Amino acid sequence: MDPSRSDLSQGDDALVMRAANGDREAFGELTNRHQRRVWMVCRQYVGVDEADAAAQDSLVKAFTRIGDFDRRAAFSTWLTRIAINTCLDELRRRRRAAPVVDEPEDGDGVGVLAQVPDGQAGPEARSMQRQAVASLEAGEKALPPRQREIFRLRFYAEMDLEEIAEALEVHVGTVKTQLHRAVHRLREELGAYR
Amino acid sequence: MSMHLEEPEISSAVAGLELKPVAEEHLAACLSCRQRVASMRELIDAQRLRFEAEAPDWERQRQEVLLRLPSVLTAGLERRRWWTRPLLAVAAVLVAAIGLKALWMPPPSSDPMAGLELPVEQILAEVDAMLADDSIPGFELIDPGLDDAIFENGAS
Ligand SMILES: [Zn+2]
Repeated sequence: MDPSRSDLSQGDDALVMRAANGDREAFGELTNRHQRRVWMVCRQYVGVDEADAAAQDSLVKAFTRIGDFDRRAAFSTWLTRIAINTCLDELRRRRRAAPVVDEPEDGDGVGVLAQVPDGQAGPEARSMQRQAVASLEAGEKALPPRQREIFRLRFYAEMDLEEIAEALEVHVGTVKTQLHRAVHRLREELGAYR
Repeated sequence: MSMHLEEPEISSAVAGLELKPVAEEHLAACLSCRQRVASMRELIDAQRLRFEAEAPDWERQRQEVLLRLPSVLTAGLERRRWWTRPLLAVAAVLVAAIGLKALWMPPPSSDPMAGLELPVEQILAEVDAMLADDSIPGFELIDPGLDDAIFENGAS
């Protein structure tokens, strides 16, 4: 999707090697390159209040585990996977602290996304687009968790389909199918707003 | 012009999924269908921009992450110490071998140091250098308790 991605990934390799030898400056540069994506991923899973902390935890965890990075995926994908797992751990911790009554629709372990906090669409939203955005948000929350997850990774974290598949460890065909269903369902929900 | 695209095809186009060639051709030629795709994408973009407006100060976040690394690095150094034990064991074996050789094969020369082929001082100096060098490759960094340390160290 992003034409500079392969360049970025090549540049990452040298930084990753330095960071693996404890070079904090190199890791600082890796952070600089990827922190936006990491935060946006965390934002989608744990909500705005916890996104910064979750993103920081993810980055620190990545640094400590950088020796395990085997280059089978791009560094950004590996990092995204760490961010997702960090968020899921946090959501599980929250669930243990305050059990949620309703069960996930998919029953595949991603239902914790149902606990993603509300955004700030606001009842005073007056413009058509603001109402449409509010409807989109409501529609997203009504999606099955896996569809919502894939939709958000695709459009808000701006990951391409292969990256999503690698990060979630599912087939790219699954990503395509779930993404299509998500968009289709949202369009139905949005009705006149779209 | 062929019939307008069906809803599932519009959804595919919004999602950036492949379309059948005939649908692709229609989309390229039909302003109305392109607008259906574009308006949904604009809506999604507006939502993404809303999220982006909530983003933290990136430099502040980066600095906070870097501040949390030193303690992790310390943990890393501690983790590496396990490999000093095998290295010290190797050094001990080498020194013992030298001693045994000196005992069982006394040099014919009158010079007590003449037959001592292994440079003990050099070996020990090299071992010291290896112990001091954390960048020696080939040593796994293993510490199952590290995650706990990280979370104790920072926010959760
Ligand atoms: Zn048309």
